[in-house]
Amino acid sequence: MKEDRVAPLKDIDRLKKRSRSRRNIVEKGGSLTLATSGLVGLFFLLVLVWQIALPTFIEGETGEIYAASEFIPVSEYIMEWDHPNVDENGAILTEVITLKLSWEENGKEQNQDIEIRILPERGIVNDVYINASTGVSTEVLEVSKKAKFHIYSTLEVPINVEQTTGPVPKADATGQPLVSSFVVSADVHLLADDEGIVFEPLELLAWGSLLATTAVMTFPKPFALKQVQRIKGKEKPAKYLFLALAAATLVAGAFSFSSILGALCFLIASTSLLRMHEGLHRLLGQGRTIAETDRLVHSITNRDGVLMWSRMVLFVATLFIPFAIEIPFLTERYQDIFQPYASGIRSAFFGTVWVMSIAMIVSIPVSIGAAIYLEEYAAPTRTTKLIQALVTNLAGVPSIVFGMFGLAIFVKQGGIGMGLGPSILAAGLTMGVMAMPIIVLASQEALRSVPQSLRESAYGVGCTRWQVVKDHVLPSAMPGIMTGSILAMSRIMGEAAPLVVVGAAALVLFDPEPLAGLTGGNVNFTVIPIQIYFWTSEPDHAWHSMAAAASIALIVLLVAMNSIAIILRQHFRRRLNQ
Amino acid sequence: MSEEIGGEIVPDSTRELEIDNEVDLMIEDLDLWYGSKQALYGVSLPIAKNSVTALIGPSGCGKSTLLRTINRMNDLIPICHYEGKITKGDIEITAKDADLVEIRKNIGMVFQRPNPFPKSIYDNVGYGVRLHHQPTREELDAIVEKSLRRAAIWKEVADRLHDLGTSLSGGQQQRLCIARTIAIEPDVILMDEPCSALDPIATAAIEELILELKKDFTVVIVTHSMSQAARVSDYTGFMYLGRMVEFNKTDKIFSDPDQELTKRYITGRFG
Repeated sequence: MKEDRVAPLKDIDRLKKRSRSRRNIVEKGGSLTLATSGLVGLFFLLVLVWQIALPTFIEGETGEIYAASEFIPVSEYIMEWDHPNVDENGAILTEVITLKLSWEENGKEQNQDIEIRILPERGIVNDVYINASTGVSTEVLEVSKKAKFHIYSTLEVPINVEQTTGPVPKADATGQPLVSSFVVSADVHLLADDEGIVFEPLELLAWGSLLATTAVMTFPKPFALKQVQRIKGKEKPAKYLFLALAAATLVAGAFSFSSILGALCFLIASTSLLRMHEGLHRLLGQGRTIAETDRLVHSITNRDGVLMWSRMVLFVATLFIPFAIEIPFLTERYQDIFQPYASGIRSAFFGTVWVMSIAMIVSIPVSIGAAIYLEEYAAPTRTTKLIQALVTNLAGVPSIVFGMFGLAIFVKQGGIGMGLGPSILAAGLTMGVMAMPIIVLASQEALRSVPQSLRESAYGVGCTRWQVVKDHVLPSAMPGIMTGSILAMSRIMGEAAPLVVVGAAALVLFDPEPLAGLTGGNVNFTVIPIQIYFWTSEPDHAWHSMAAAASIALIVLLVAMNSIAIILRQHFRRRLNQ
Repeated sequence: MSEEIGGEIVPDSTRELEIDNEVDLMIEDLDLWYGSKQALYGVSLPIAKNSVTALIGPSGCGKSTLLRTINRMNDLIPICHYEGKITKGDIEITAKDADLVEIRKNIGMVFQRPNPFPKSIYDNVGYGVRLHHQPTREELDAIVEKSLRRAAIWKEVADRLHDLGTSLSGGQQQRLCIARTIAIEPDVILMDEPCSALDPIATAAIEELILELKKDFTVVIVTHSMSQAARVSDYTGFMYLGRMVEFNKTDKIFSDPDQELTKRYITGRFG
């Protein structure tokens, strides 16, 4: 006890007091919002219980399901002609290319020439179809510069392709073609971007700077930290420089996905750089040396999750900026029943994303509100216990029942129905209601695991109930709540049954419109599990491999979401327990 | 007037008490139940200003319950209800419409187990201040430093104010909790066995701190250690089975108690 004795003067009252009435308003407002959101959630759940309890006969449409085509191809080959129909300077070679197709049919030799004309306009794609009764579909094919065209065959025999005139595609130095014949494919291709790897210098710079700052944060070595120290006194200009670079990246990349990622890279790199500098400054201010890097790790990387965010963004950016990965399977829409390999899950993917987003927006705040209300506010009366029992049981209700509920409440018009039609909005709301009890239970569990002593210490310094919840209980319960929410989301992402009832379509040719249920327009949508289901029921084997690929895509999505849950949980847990 | 409980003669606790200092808190005829189980029977005692009042007694005798009633912490337990009156000056703490925030701001509490917020050391101390006041950055810095100095922990944490409060050792955490409590400058500090989880060195530091705090605050401390009560307190109340058996000046209680029961408890010949 060698501490200096401080003058025992009570001087706290000279500070400006916080307004008591304002505090009371905030308390009332916060609690009221919470109670309202909780009650809305509980209301939904109660309506649901009522719906289940009441044996309702639901009339109305269950959405359109297209009949599968009766067309059964005997076999299917795809030929891809990847022709560099420009010279070294990028000018179009106007010379016409002639391909000679030959095959054997019923013991007879068949020949057919196709003339390929290259057009300067972009985006014109034509394909050639060969089938037994009508032969080759066209003799003249017009395709645009740098386009890839396909030759589809439903014959059972191999077809030879021979080039008779025109510049040789992808010739090597001796004039021998590199692609001597066509590509026959019976698998689903995950092709890279046709246009090759495109490097946007600004985006690459953004990626590089994020890589550098993340590396320095992960392995803080003195020589790297010395460089960081050099921005001392130039924090403001450095920040604006990064902001300007981010804006420039956005404008240069015309707000494309990779340019947005690039801008994000710049922003996070600048934040981490400034945080590192701040941490270094503090470290040196405490009379420590730059070599004590473990303290730096302690003081910056675990705060605000800068490291976590930079790692996540870096991972995504690596895929899309330097590798510029583009997967046609994900970006192509459904073509038609004859072209399994040209189809993609774009519509289903967007459908899933939209349904999940709406479900998330609807269910997470309401469920967390309900959990807080049940755990922190509601007195343990008989009603509360009844509601608790209902919620617990709802979490185990089969998903098809939620589908019926969605059909009655959201899809159908009239009665208690909202009349949104078989739309994304109705599906999202249905899924949201399905996720609610799961999230409520997970959040309650998380809130219950917050030690009572934390609440007591907060009340002990004079917190109101709302302040205790907002400042202490909720932040401590956040890891559990987030994990529970994300796991609930990934559970409903894989659900097909309720959406079959709500009316997801089998074939969707266009990107879904999320608000079509309200604004009118094309309400058709589908999600990946439904797409898998319908593809599996197609007779053609090609669709089965498409379904398998879609399953892989779905699993990858699920793994990604669960990984995010793990990363978030670890981050919060480390912040609380370090 | 006395009644027989469990074979022990427990004297009635309502007796007139004489104290030297000005009375800060007055507890009158407090009965308290957890559900149907009565935990406090007509407890009355005055708590003197700027002094240390110790509550001793065997486990389960209601010391902590009494302490937690003083700043209405027992309201957090739904099955708990009470009758009786606690007054602080002309404010009735036990009134139905009492402002709990104001009460807990003026009557701080240090708990048995150190329970700092999972925030930085700085925020642990500054949080309560910011809750009730709007200090500027400099004012808050000064208050945090002052509180940490008074809690005798400043030198250990001065260079790591932005580390988590939970990263400190047990004794440091308890002193941090004391700093958190005195930062908002309450009139009364309630301490519920503050040293039970601490080693002798940390205990000595906290006892010295209590003597120091006495100059500015009224301290009520619950303790299982008779020697601690003798060392730090000015007044001591001995409780047994929910009753205040004897309340008097510490010297008197430890040298010449009025009650036979108190004597037997203090000398360790109990039960």
